[in-house]
Amino acid sequence: MTLADARAALPTKSIRQQFGETILDLAGERDDFVVLTADLMYATGIDRFGAAYPGRMFNLGIAEQNMTGVAAGLALSGKLPLISGYAVFTALRAVEQAKLDVAYNGVKVILAGQSAGLSYGVGGPTHQSCEDVAIMRSIPGMIVLVPSDAVEVDACLRAAMRHPAAAPIYIRLGRGAEWTFNAPGRPFEIGRSVRLREGDDLTLVANGSMVVEAVLASDALRSMGVAARVLNLHTVKPLDVAALEVAARQTRAMIVVEEHSVIGGLGAAVLEALAEVPHGPVRRIGIADSFPPIGPPHDLRASLGLSAENIVAQALDLLRRT
Amino acid sequence: MRSEHLSNRPAQLAELRIRATRIRDFALKMAAVQGQGYVGQALGVADVLAVAYFAALVYRPADPSWDGRDRFLLSIGHYAIALYAALIEAGVLPQSEIETYGADDSRLPMSGMAHYTPGMEITGGSLGHGLPIAIGMCLGLKRKASNSFVYVLLSDGELNEGATWEAAMSASHWKLGNLIAIVDVNNQQADGPSSTTLGFEPLSDKWRAFGWWVARVDGNDMDAVLSAFDAARALPDAMPRIILCDTLMGKGVPFLEARDKTHFIRIEPEEWAKAIADLHAGAAE
Ligand SMILES: Cc1ncc(C[n+]2csc(CCOP(=O)(O)OP(=O)(O)O)c2C)c(N)n1
Ligand SMILES: [Mg+2]
Repeated sequence: MTLADARAALPTKSIRQQFGETILDLAGERDDFVVLTADLMYATGIDRFGAAYPGRMFNLGIAEQNMTGVAAGLALSGKLPLISGYAVFTALRAVEQAKLDVAYNGVKVILAGQSAGLSYGVGGPTHQSCEDVAIMRSIPGMIVLVPSDAVEVDACLRAAMRHPAAAPIYIRLGRGAEWTFNAPGRPFEIGRSVRLREGDDLTLVANGSMVVEAVLASDALRSMGVAARVLNLHTVKPLDVAALEVAARQTRAMIVVEEHSVIGGLGAAVLEALAEVPHGPVRRIGIADSFPPIGPPHDLRASLGLSAENIVAQALDLLRRT
Repeated sequence: MRSEHLSNRPAQLAELRIRATRIRDFALKMAAVQGQGYVGQALGVADVLAVAYFAALVYRPADPSWDGRDRFLLSIGHYAIALYAALIEAGVLPQSEIETYGADDSRLPMSGMAHYTPGMEITGGSLGHGLPIAIGMCLGLKRKASNSFVYVLLSDGELNEGATWEAAMSASHWKLGNLIAIVDVNNQQADGPSSTTLGFEPLSDKWRAFGWWVARVDGNDMDAVLSAFDAARALPDAMPRIILCDTLMGKGVPFLEARDKTHFIRIEPEEWAKAIADLHAGAAE
């Protein structure tokens, strides 16, 4: 079976659709849960929540900075606000409000950024979002989550909602159909990585849309006699440093894969953590320091090397050199 | 290019109406290529673009970056299909590129980007960027004693953004008589009518209070739009000008005018053919 066949054999589900379903479901759990959007109610799939709970939905118009400040105000008044927007506007346009009004005040606001990475690839530089993790994780106290498929999106939203810390949580989300591969029912623990494949030759670390590619790459490598461990680091902050240290000890090399700039994202976070401990060579697969072209997400990812095919090639090359 | 009929207004208006119909036709044909697009906006704003490109702007179709041109900034990147249609009618882009609309290596991507398309001055699309850039260009042009105008097209949804109002204050503060902003007031944005998403009236009073010369017109009344553009250019005062154009989304294609959700239109191939036929039937009346 080729990698393309293995990928095509997986079911898919729209991230936006899953998001809308989970939000609607969670609304029944807590009366203090409110949702804010900036003219992206339909676009982020929360229209059914809005129809069911009109008094708990605040559509602020296309005014993300105002919306983020308003969310802080609602949190300071005892509500649990969730901002439902696109990653690029949530993390970049309103970043100072996220830092000061939300994070510095130490209030819990969930910032859900859809269409992250290249998942809205046809939108070009205005809608692609390859810097959001770097920006959000530099804000003191901000928790940063990057779930990998619809199943994990559901689990991640539930975990974020129940998380006790008085801290903002940024959740990075895709947009359209993505491969579904996580087993339903597995608990999502903020800060704890998931070991999806065992192996002691090298470690593949990934999050978001790249986890499935790492899993497929690991399976392909296994048939070539290479045992590649796969770590799903769905939490970029706080990072599961313990799992990384174990992997650094037990495996010869590491590849970190993410649909994000190689500057400041998961790869950078992993290297920052490993800088303190002995480790083998680490390679990053991500988006180079340039603006990606426009195109559909799966095509763009493939052309930029964000694929199981490239992970396999990089892994073989890396092991050959170590 | 400004048309030649400056002394014969009825002839000029007749020509502009033909231009507007052709702009609508090109936009529909591009949308049909992808089966979808922001075409309701293009139909609504076509009359305004016809006046802009054939009765107001100074430019050279064969040399879109000629330094002496008037600038036309599309702040609302999702309106690219409308501007492409106008640029085709203006001869800046060839009609043959219609078929490439939205394709991977096309010069006509779905969202307007300066690096892709001749005549596309900026990469708009993240709402709220166009007016500030326009102000910078106005300041730059004034510093080099250029006579060029900077036109910038905004939307009513874009007026929600704070940056637009920061820029509105700057423009009058800096006495930018070379700035002409246009707002497509179609009372529509992504989640529904603009007036119910974030009320914006009284709109003329707001801009006047910010120190602008204001005209508010029916943006589908060619005569009124033409008069507003003429007045905006002729104004001797050192102040920014804005033309608020109330338009009807889908204008010219009755079944699209009547549609409930018009922000993004996705219809079947035979419906695109019907839309084009209805447009020309209506224009012939
Ligand atoms: C800063 C920013 N926030 C959100 C969006 C997503 N968005 C794209 S178009 C749009 C509606 C814009 O309003 P308007 O131009 O009046 O809509 P139209 O008349 O085209 O329906 C929104 C919210 C965006 N492009 N930029
Ligand atoms: Mg509008």
